[in-house]
Amino acid sequence: MAPEAENMGIVSRRMRAAFALSTLIFVAVLAISPTRDFFQPWKRYKRQYARFAQTRPDTKRLLADYQPGIEQIWIPEMNVVDRCTTCHTGMTQSSLADASVPEPFRAHPPIPHRVKEWGCVVCHRGQGPATEVAEAHETTLAWEQPLLPTRYIQASCGVCHQADLPQTPRLTKGRQLLAEFNCVGCHRLSGIETPAMIGPDLTNIGNKVGREWIYKWLKEPRTVVDDSGNTTVNGYETEDEPRMPYFRLTEQELRGLSAYLVSLRSQPVQPHAFNPKVVAAWEKKPDLADQGEIRFREMFCSTCHSLAVTRAGETKLIGGDIGPELTKVGSKVNGDWLVAWLRNPQADLPNSKMPRYEWSDEDLYKVSHYIAAKLTDSDLLSNVPKLDAPTQDEIQLGRRLFVEKGCRSCHLIQGLTPQKDFGPDLTALGGKNVSQLEFGNSKIPRHLIAYMQAKITDPHSVNPAARMPQYHFKPEDLDAITTALLSMTGPAQSPALARLVVPAAHKEFHPAGAFGEVYERYKCYVCHRFNGLGGDLAPDLTFEGSRAQRQWLIAFLKNPQTLRPTLTLRMPQFNLTDAEASVLADYIEMALDSPAVSGGVDSKEFTPQLAATGKQLYEVKYQCQACHTIGASGGYVGPNLSNVGNWMKPSWIEAWLKDPPALVPGTIEPRRTFSDDEVRALTAYLMTLRQSAPPKNAGATARLAGPSGAQPAAAAPAEGGGR
Amino acid sequence: MKMRALLCLLLIGALTALAACRKTAPAAAANPALQSYDTEQDWNDPQHTILLNYQQAEGKRVFYNNCVWCHADATPAGPSNRSNVTPTPPLLNDGSTMNGLSDEFMQNTITLGGSAMGKSAMMPPWGRTLTQDEIRAVIAYARAIAQPGYQPPARPGPQYGIK
Repeated sequence: MAPEAENMGIVSRRMRAAFALSTLIFVAVLAISPTRDFFQPWKRYKRQYARFAQTRPDTKRLLADYQPGIEQIWIPEMNVVDRCTTCHTGMTQSSLADASVPEPFRAHPPIPHRVKEWGCVVCHRGQGPATEVAEAHETTLAWEQPLLPTRYIQASCGVCHQADLPQTPRLTKGRQLLAEFNCVGCHRLSGIETPAMIGPDLTNIGNKVGREWIYKWLKEPRTVVDDSGNTTVNGYETEDEPRMPYFRLTEQELRGLSAYLVSLRSQPVQPHAFNPKVVAAWEKKPDLADQGEIRFREMFCSTCHSLAVTRAGETKLIGGDIGPELTKVGSKVNGDWLVAWLRNPQADLPNSKMPRYEWSDEDLYKVSHYIAAKLTDSDLLSNVPKLDAPTQDEIQLGRRLFVEKGCRSCHLIQGLTPQKDFGPDLTALGGKNVSQLEFGNSKIPRHLIAYMQAKITDPHSVNPAARMPQYHFKPEDLDAITTALLSMTGPAQSPALARLVVPAAHKEFHPAGAFGEVYERYKCYVCHRFNGLGGDLAPDLTFEGSRAQRQWLIAFLKNPQTLRPTLTLRMPQFNLTDAEASVLADYIEMALDSPAVSGGVDSKEFTPQLAATGKQLYEVKYQCQACHTIGASGGYVGPNLSNVGNWMKPSWIEAWLKDPPALVPGTIEPRRTFSDDEVRALTAYLMTLRQSAPPKNAGATARLAGPSGAQPAAAAPAEGGGR
Repeated sequence: MKMRALLCLLLIGALTALAACRKTAPAAAANPALQSYDTEQDWNDPQHTILLNYQQAEGKRVFYNNCVWCHADATPAGPSNRSNVTPTPPLLNDGSTMNGLSDEFMQNTITLGGSAMGKSAMMPPWGRTLTQDEIRAVIAYARAIAQPGYQPPARPGPQYGIK
């Protein structure tokens, strides 16, 4: 046999080695995939969870549903495929709620929606189907939606809940700010209403202020925010954010705009003809301005306007924020304009919130003198250059700038119509991916939230050509606005989601007739709420007719008093005529009543014995004095009941004792378990509490306001009015 | 030939090692305040911010609406009612008093009122005003702001039972 034949079938050593090697390589390559798979982060977490569950006392329950594979929540109609529970294994195990439980095993805090019915991504965003940590949580090449940081998560509530929820204060605040700052003046936003008035109507601004003042205002608005975020108005610290944004204007633009605006005047203001006797009597008096100041205080101007007041060597602003701050207004406005304004604010600004007071000539003379003489600052316009009479060129330039800068979106000038969609449509901004945003040369993180906040604070940082002015918000308000914008993700992604949308409640209250006139004249709705519309500075009056006795109402309207011991009186005395007071009382009595209160309580049933039982219940069994004051003792939480027999209707008291939140939603007073007999006895006792004449000013108020420092500026309690 | 095979093996080994390498977890916890639903300043130490989850934040909302008047020294409306009430109610963050109370005891006291639990009748029952979830949230909030801090018992109480 030939050696070749002998060698056939015998593999050389070299071949053997090569074969062994290639087998090894082949096995190694085959092993890559299972090895990778074994070390997948989610598998690691699964194993860790199994070990972790062994260390807990309720191991059995924790491992009852445990399975080693990928878990997912699948809800086809909502397009939900969320695999988050694969790693976040303890999500629904309430015994893992404690903060000491390591992530990702900690339980979700209880929320109104069940995780199994909604999935995770609908609120948290991110990528549900992803199986890698980074892909699930962040923006990657293939997956663009990052997780929403929990601070902004209320935005997800807002996607469906267009109606405000008590659980989402940040979202509600953001929506309010978007409305208050009239963002809809330039942008399209979903569910944000246009405020009644934003910037003042400038049609006749030339009558009100001089060119120098306009120049100063445009260059350096009254309310400014410095680099460290402190807000000052006229140099005094304030909580309020400037509503007028900051425009970067050149000297030429400032001159042009101030020239154009000051040229806006239809006819000069006619000076008010004061009664010569009043002028003669007061003109020479040295204390004219002081008397005016006293009257200014008596009229409760500080309920809406703040002034800088120096107390104990410290100067700070005291007063409300409904109207503008007035410390230096005497150096701003024209004297004749001021008198005309005080007499009838709506003649100048039809949407002004200022009530039209019934002035006596004497009061008007005193107060206008006080404002013009005392609320001044001789240095107010000191750094404004000398400005001559406006030239035609300047006026033309100013008019063009007024249109180009978008001033029309907030300030009305007759003859100039606001332009629709001056800024971009933002109704779908909250759902945009990073790749859809333009960051320009800015160094901010590539993230939607960072983009939004940079755009609001300094639009030029992301787009040098932006027309948008700069807004200054406190960090918490910026977060609130960001949350509200993030909730605007455009039309619903699927019909199932569209059906889930909870629309905002439609609120309406348009009283007509005589009541409507008085209501409009004194602007009751600026502080009080009717049918869900109006301010929250004062009690909700939706059901006032069921609560208060007519006699008491009339007396109150003519001479308001505080009803709660810790509150400072803020309701101005409007000098209502008898006719006006009875118009208000009649309407309140007839129209503002609650269906839950029946009128059928016969006060003849209230025997002294019953009242004595009620007193026992009040003082011993239920100890109502914890919250209510009668005479000089008791608590500050509820209203003072010393005069409740003259104030409230017995039918209201009965209905109230049975179920307070049914009458005033959100009231502090809890619903108790009084029996009908107890309710009757308590009502009988309360109806015996009467004062013949209410004290001029509640003593408790003065006593409390002093040492505790509760000044008119103290925060308004947001109590729905459960007095 | 051997050289090539060795190189090949090395390359594959390196690839395997690379593939097995885990990606580092995302640096999500850069700013912890971003990962909380709400925050509350420590009542005793204004520099210290306490992070609240949804349930605790709900408790904070209910507390500032209903409880703050007697269980805090300052209220949103001004002076507190706490000094008018005898015996003086504990501050909500008073850990030395409340850490020793079980969740069930607190739940019952809030739901049924003080007199039902042998405490002051000045504490009204809230069971018909607040939901059980809201009351549970207030307790969670009290635990979150307690000073000294609250340590949950080793074995969770029955109110965490399966629904």
